[in-house]
Amino acid sequence: MHRPAEFRPAGATVRPGPGIPYPLQRAYVRLMMWLVGRLLQASSAVDPVIMREVAELPPGFAFAMRVRAGGPGFAMCEQDGRLRLMPLQQAGRLQLSFDFKHLTHAFLVLGFVEGTAVSFARDRMSVDGNLGAGMKIVRCLNRMEAVVLPKFVARRALKAYPPIGLGEKLAAATRIYARMLLQLVGGK
Amino acid sequence: MSQEFFEFFCPVKIAAGYKALEHIPFELEVRGASRPLLLSDAGVVAAGLVDTVTGAMGSGGASAGPLFDQVPPDSSMASVRAAVALYRERDCDSIIAIGGGSVMDTAKAVNILATEGGEDLQRFAGANNLTRPLKPFIAIPTTAGTGSEVTAVSIIKDEDSGTKMPFMSQFLLPDVAVIDPRTTLKLPALITAATALDALTHASEAFTCLAKNPLSDAYASAAITRIARSLIPVLDEPADAGGRLELALAAAMAGVAFNNSMVGLVHALGHSVGAIAGVHHGMCMGIFLPHVLRYNLDARREEIGEMLLYLAGPEIYASTPHSGRATAAIACIEALRDQAHQRCGLPRTLAETGKVQREDLPRIAAMSLDDGSMIFNPAEVGYDDALAVLEQAWA
Repeated sequence: MHRPAEFRPAGATVRPGPGIPYPLQRAYVRLMMWLVGRLLQASSAVDPVIMREVAELPPGFAFAMRVRAGGPGFAMCEQDGRLRLMPLQQAGRLQLSFDFKHLTHAFLVLGFVEGTAVSFARDRMSVDGNLGAGMKIVRCLNRMEAVVLPKFVARRALKAYPPIGLGEKLAAATRIYARMLLQLVGGK
Repeated sequence: MSQEFFEFFCPVKIAAGYKALEHIPFELEVRGASRPLLLSDAGVVAAGLVDTVTGAMGSGGASAGPLFDQVPPDSSMASVRAAVALYRERDCDSIIAIGGGSVMDTAKAVNILATEGGEDLQRFAGANNLTRPLKPFIAIPTTAGTGSEVTAVSIIKDEDSGTKMPFMSQFLLPDVAVIDPRTTLKLPALITAATALDALTHASEAFTCLAKNPLSDAYASAAITRIARSLIPVLDEPADAGGRLELALAAAMAGVAFNNSMVGLVHALGHSVGAIAGVHHGMCMGIFLPHVLRYNLDARREEIGEMLLYLAGPEIYASTPHSGRATAAIACIEALRDQAHQRCGLPRTLAETGKVQREDLPRIAAMSLDDGSMIFNPAEVGYDDALAVLEQAWA
């Protein structure tokens, strides 16, 4: 007998994995970690919404997003009201870390298959440390994704796409990408 | 909802029902313990509940051990240190906590230092900073709401810095939760109602937030059923031991559910109102729950609609059109809260608490955005959204 969808037990649907070889996943995640770190660094210098969030972080606040067991990742710290990248291996005591429990989990988030909040809720990552500051970092990531990603991609990564007009989005994205290029070229 | 991966963990043995307290000597013995430190607070002692526990232990041939009864309403570092000193001085080998959330939180922190040694509790603060099992720990809840007897979290106030330090580790979980109706029989009506709504909120948020999973759903739905069925009868007949046990079991089940599925916007707002205005946590939960469910309606209409089955029973669920079940479920919760208000004055709005000022609402909204619970809320919440929910809850 056909059962209406409302009676389908929760958890009964399992989507197949990405089916992409691990070396390719690793390369993609490494690239995206590199990109996200630099975009976040640039955003914290030019985007007023993210600048407001960073201004409320504790001085010198250091955090990392990484794949556990030495996988790809990046580390940043607050410095003069901005976020600065620092070598992951040289990062001292972190106040917060987002640790993906497996490479594929990071691939799902950085491939915009599922959002950061959903990944956390599904226990695909552990978030250790100062959770209040962690919420500010999550809001920074959400804002950055909403601005720099095409709307149809950002919608997959976020719980809700914020009310940003096309003009504001393009202007903000241009500022962030330009700043990132300047930082890459100038090293600042 | 498709949930492709989840984790569920609850190794706490639950000893519940008739003469449950009399099982404590056995539970100590099988864990190789014989010299427990009893932790409680002055109110619990005055209510005679510690005597009830020690009497039950004595009848089973166990000595109760030293009592530390100076746990404050907000668990503090000073009380943890004092309790640890007594633990060491009397060469204890286990801990029995008798009380509500603050006693449980204190006991968990005492257990850290009792096991790990030293005086520096702060180095274990945060998530997953414990790496081995702690001393045998038996939890005896005297309220039916917090679920602390089955949760892996402790919050301790550091008087020096004025901050609250969270500790989260699977090793904080008690070995045994003893749920005996005698420990909640004397609970005043207002606290009975407020703590029951706290448990209802744990279950409702576990059932509707992002980390819901099939196992936590089972615990959450069973908890909702018991609270909806037993709260008003217990308020009408406080000596109803069966109803009291149902509420205490519901609180434990809701605790298991939210310890695995976490909570959302109701708790984020409630934590902030508690911090800024000092309103009882359970009262905050009762005030915010319907408003937040309404806020989450678009994101969780199916799940909230399913809650009608547990809140109102199969007849009403079946006779309510599918499209109207979610709003009917919210109306059920409001009716439950209103009935409790009629019986014991449980506040229905922030204004009725008499502690919150309307001009505090923006500050409460801003603070709630940084609460870790917010990430699990199914609908995105910004400052304006949080403020709008607070305004709805105002009067």
